[in-house]
Amino acid sequence: MSGHHIIPMKTLISTSLALVVLTIVTVAVFYLPIPAPFDVVVALLLASFKATLVGMFFMGLYYDEKFNTVVLMFSFLFFIVFIGITLLDTLFRDSGISVW
Amino acid sequence: MAEAHSLENPRLQHHFRNADQQFSSSKLGMWLFLFTEIMFFGGLFVAYIVYRAWNPELFTMAASQLDTVLGAVNTVVLIGSSLTIALAIRAAQTDKQKQIVNYLLMTILLAGVFLVIKYFEYMHKFDLGIFPGAFYTFEGIDHPKANVFFSIYYMMTGLHGLHVVIGIGLMIWLVVRAKMGDYSSKWYTPVEMTGLYWHLVDIIWIFLFPLMYLIE
Repeated sequence: MSGHHIIPMKTLISTSLALVVLTIVTVAVFYLPIPAPFDVVVALLLASFKATLVGMFFMGLYYDEKFNTVVLMFSFLFFIVFIGITLLDTLFRDSGISVW
Repeated sequence: MAEAHSLENPRLQHHFRNADQQFSSSKLGMWLFLFTEIMFFGGLFVAYIVYRAWNPELFTMAASQLDTVLGAVNTVVLIGSSLTIALAIRAAQTDKQKQIVNYLLMTILLAGVFLVIKYFEYMHKFDLGIFPGAFYTFEGIDHPKANVFFSIYYMMTGLHGLHVVIGIGLMIWLVVRAKMGDYSSKWYTPVEMTGLYWHLVDIIWIFLFPLMYLIE
């Protein structure tokens, strides 16, 4: 029986509470004096962790056939490729060209 | 697993072996759709990354115009709505017909709260003259390209808001069918798929909130 897992009430409630706490942490971290690139890194790590919780327990990937997770992982992979190839252009333009 | 027959289960399409196979196929199809959604929003996230890399100081200045408290409240509202739609699916799986409707209505209510808060945020900006692109007239941000940040802001939050509106439409349709007793532990595929869609809308907001509102 795949995909019909009834997610325990305790799991749903604790996932929500964890997400609310992590939202508070995200806002709290914003007011901490973290130097430039690392504040974004910390914010994205927290957001990724929250997204993972939603994916695993609300969307049921933890209980599902693993192929659904593979599909999701591939979407991230292609998104990273999308970012990477675009930045290879935009980060290395001559100053005269970057008119936006 | 006993071989289900279409005469026993009117929901089972003849080209599936059994209800389980049909359900997991639907789910895989939904995940493939969510893949395209991630790439759809991905294009906007790439635009965000490119313009932020070009002009980091603009993003710091412009983000000060966004209300962190309202953004955080909306994050919590969407987390709550994710919980209630998960509970609606759980109610379907455990044959609690009335609870399906109630949890769906709660989800619609929370989605409505999100949109109302977003409406007040937009109206406040419009009052200041913060419009996207060429319509931008606000003078409180000392940067020649301040309108570019808000073009990206309105595109990303606007597309996300459109997804919330579509989600509300889907859930109204689910409520109507749930009231007719269409969903039970035997078959609740539309509730499950709308849930997956709704959780993705939540995940996108989880990334939008720190990237838009929390820039130092």
